[in-house]
This record gives sequence, C-alpha cells and structure tokens, in this order.
Amino acid sequence: MVAPVPNLLRQEIQRLAAQDKRIDGRGRWERRSVDLEVGLLYNAEGSAKVTWGDTVVYAGVKFELRTPWPDRPTQGSLMCGAELRPVAHVKYEPGPPSPESIELGRVVDRGIRESGCIDMDSLCIVPGEKVWGVMIDIHVMSDGGNIFDACGLAAIAALRTAIVPAERFDVGEDHVLAVSSTPIMASFTRAGGRFVYDPCEDEELGGDERIHITLGDKEHLHSLQKGLKGAFTPAEFAEILEVARTQCAELRDLVASKEGN
Amino acid sequence: MMGGYGDVQLLKEDGTRLDGRAVDEMRPVEIKVGVLPAAQGSAWVKQGLNVAVCAVYGPMEAHPRKIQRQDRAVLDVRYNMAPFSTGERIRPGFNRRAREISKVTAEALESVVLLERYPRSKIRVEIEILAAEAGTRCAGITAASMALADAGIPMRDLVVGIASGKIQDTVVLDLDKAEDNYGQADLPAGICPNTGELVFLQMDGDLSIEEYNLAMEYNFKAAAEIHEIMVAALAAKYGGGEA
Repeated sequence: MVAPVPNLLRQEIQRLAAQDKRIDGRGRWERRSVDLEVGLLYNAEGSAKVTWGDTVVYAGVKFELRTPWPDRPTQGSLMCGAELRPVAHVKYEPGPPSPESIELGRVVDRGIRESGCIDMDSLCIVPGEKVWGVMIDIHVMSDGGNIFDACGLAAIAALRTAIVPAERFDVGEDHVLAVSSTPIMASFTRAGGRFVYDPCEDEELGGDERIHITLGDKEHLHSLQKGLKGAFTPAEFAEILEVARTQCAELRDLVASKEGN
Repeated sequence: MMGGYGDVQLLKEDGTRLDGRAVDEMRPVEIKVGVLPAAQGSAWVKQGLNVAVCAVYGPMEAHPRKIQRQDRAVLDVRYNMAPFSTGERIRPGFNRRAREISKVTAEALESVVLLERYPRSKIRVEIEILAAEAGTRCAGITAASMALADAGIPMRDLVVGIASGKIQDTVVLDLDKAEDNYGQADLPAGICPNTGELVFLQMDGDLSIEEYNLAMEYNFKAAAEIHEIMVAALAAKYGGGEA
C-alpha cells in the first residue's frame, strides 16, 4: 500500500531537523519507552513481549530433537525467523514471506548466532544421533516503527529465559538453556538529512537509508545491515556506533533484570 | 480427536474436573481492548491459557475490484496460529484448519456487522493465536468482535465464542486441553448475548439431544458471563459500562 503524503511528511521532518528536532518531540539519540515481559506464553519454552513505543512484538522459543548434520555430529542448530503478518499494519498483505520479513529474521538471526551466545556443542544429546534444534519465531503484532530493535530484544530475552524441555522428549531433566551473552541491536534511520536513533513510523516513512548494528557484551560488532536507498560516510557511522554502545548497554541491563524469575 | 482414550480419568471422584472446576464452570477470562497501536481497533483475550489477539483495519477500499460488493462491505478475516503457540512448533503458513476457521469466523461476524453501511469497501480482521490450550477459535471470535467494537465498526451485537463438550459421559463447560484431547464431544458456538441468536456453530463427537441441550444451556450461561467482561473491557477504555 502506498502512503498518501510522504512528501509533505519529508518536508516537515526536514524542517524540524534544521532545528535539531524530531517529529515526535524526542532528542536525536533518544529512545522511546521500552517495556519487556518474559515467560508469558503457555506452550512456548521461552517467550517475550516487547512494547517499544507503538511497536508490539512477541518472540517464542521452541525445541525439537533432530539428527545432526554428518559433518558436525556434536552440534545442535539455531534458527530465527520473523513474520510480518497483516495483523501488524495496514501496509502488510497476506501471502508468502516478503523480502522485508526475511531480511528482518536474518538480521536478528545473525546478531544472535554470530555473537556465539549459544554454544552449538551444548545442544548435543548423543553425538551423531540426537541434538537439539532451537527455533526462535518472532511475531510482529503492531508496527509503530523500528521493529528491528524490538524483534532483536524480544528474541534474545525469550532465548535467555528459555527452558529446554528435556523431560517431554524423554532425554533427561528440564534445564535452563545456556546462553552466554546478550547481543543487542540498535537501529538508525536518516531522517531530514541526518541519522536518528530508534526511528518512529513517520521517520521510517519519510526517511532514507537505515543502519542496524548488533553489539555483544564486550561491545564487539556481531551483525551490521544497511537497508534502503542512500549513502553514508564513515564519520557518520562512527557517530552512530558511539550511540549504539550506550543504548545497547542500557537494554542489556533491562534483559538482565528480567532473568532468573 | 475423540475415541480410543476411554481410560483417561478426567473427572475426580467428587465430580470436579482435573483443574478443580465444576462441570458448569468456565476458565478465567480476561479481556483488553486497544492493545495494538498500529491497528484501527484491537483486542486481547485470555481464556484459561489461550491467548488470542485481534487487529481490525478499515473500512478501506476493497482490492482487487472483483471482491467488491456494490451494496455492502466485505469482511476479510484471517485466523492464524503463531509457530510457538502449540506444543510442537507449527510451520508458518495457512493450513486447511486455519482456512476453515477463518471462513466460519468471517461468516459469524458478517451476521452482526452492519456491512451495508460501507458499500464497495473492505474490513480486515486479523486474529493471531499466541498460545493454544483448546478453544482458540472461540477466543478468536470473542477477540474479533471486541476489536471490531474498538475500531468503531457498527454492529447489531457482540459475539461471544464459547464451547461446551462431553467428558466421561458428562457434559462440561469450556473444555481445556486434556478434556479436548481425551473427551467425547466438543460444541463451540458463537452467541449474540443481547439477541440470544447463534451466528457460529460447530460440533464433533457424540452427543444425545439431551446432552446437546445441556451443553448449549452451559454455553449461553457462560456467554452472559463473558459478555459482562467484554462490556467492562470496553468501559475501561471508553467509559460507561451498563450492558
């Protein structure tokens, strides 16, 4: 669906940017309020709900027993997928997964996978025969802008509070899934000619390129993605990376505060 | 679903059910409206451990043109289960069960929405099941009628989704997962609480006519209780509250 007045919106965002303002009144590097709930869905072995401004996202973790790949007999597997279902916004249509939802799932997947927070060998039950497959599904329920960060947060929070259902599969006792770190994503969109953190819906509609940065516990980079049309300079990247460091650390503390309940 | 499980004990010696409910007692129901900011109207229904969330978009222009009706709006209803909503993960995508439930849910809602007010337009109703513990289609119907109300779409009445069934030759209200898996019958209904009409009805299993009558009596009793919770949920957002 085509948005009706993006040009007027663009002009307004441009005008506000010249005064160092944003369309929803926030500062350039200011985040909307974020609420995180975990363990709220029956049947999911780990679950999280993130309410991030007007964005609402759920993530659920499920486990399956599978045979390991022959070249990696002691390694389990991790899969992370996202669905942009028509429930989330009038702009989403029913049908097979869109390129946007595939990109979203893959960017979140890379941040978690490449951080090494899950030791694939720890998912082994019987080498060469039985390993755990961990599946994180992300369900976007309301797209009010910056679904990437909300999805990343929901996924890692669901994962870090997941219980391996070993008893149900008759392979030992239920135990907490070992997750050694907390990768967090921070996203930026160019709106009114300059980058802003945590774009709202209007800024995404009237903005240009976006950049997603996932940082691990030691502030190492684990996934980067540049999306949409536009170009940026190394100096601009250095600036937003500094912001990402602060924001990711705060959100990492938020996840930690929900664990062990 | 039914049969072959006759030895599973679902009623205790004192006549109560495994979770302690009386035969005519429903699971706790919680309802909220306006839960999804991106939607025109939305609702969240928790019934037992089921969680159903519904978003409504529209009325909007109906596309493609061939689905347009000159004299009324069309309802585009989808019922979908999240991959993590069930015991075993379900693959994303529209299966036969979801298609059928979407169809009968749409027909239930078409019976109450004043579609003639919006010729040539479309109203989208998106039902997402986030946790399933038997009775998701009913929770979905309740959520859908609440989301439509929250969106300000005119309706003749709300619709309450509720089921009764039979376990161990006993009629019980609002089957939970074990009762659904090992029970003998399931009778889900969509009830208009003000007019007393039925706009949705399914059944499978084995019921005598007497058992059907009792099950439907339980359904109507529960519908009145759920209706009060629905009205309270709307009043919590919009004020008022006399049914």
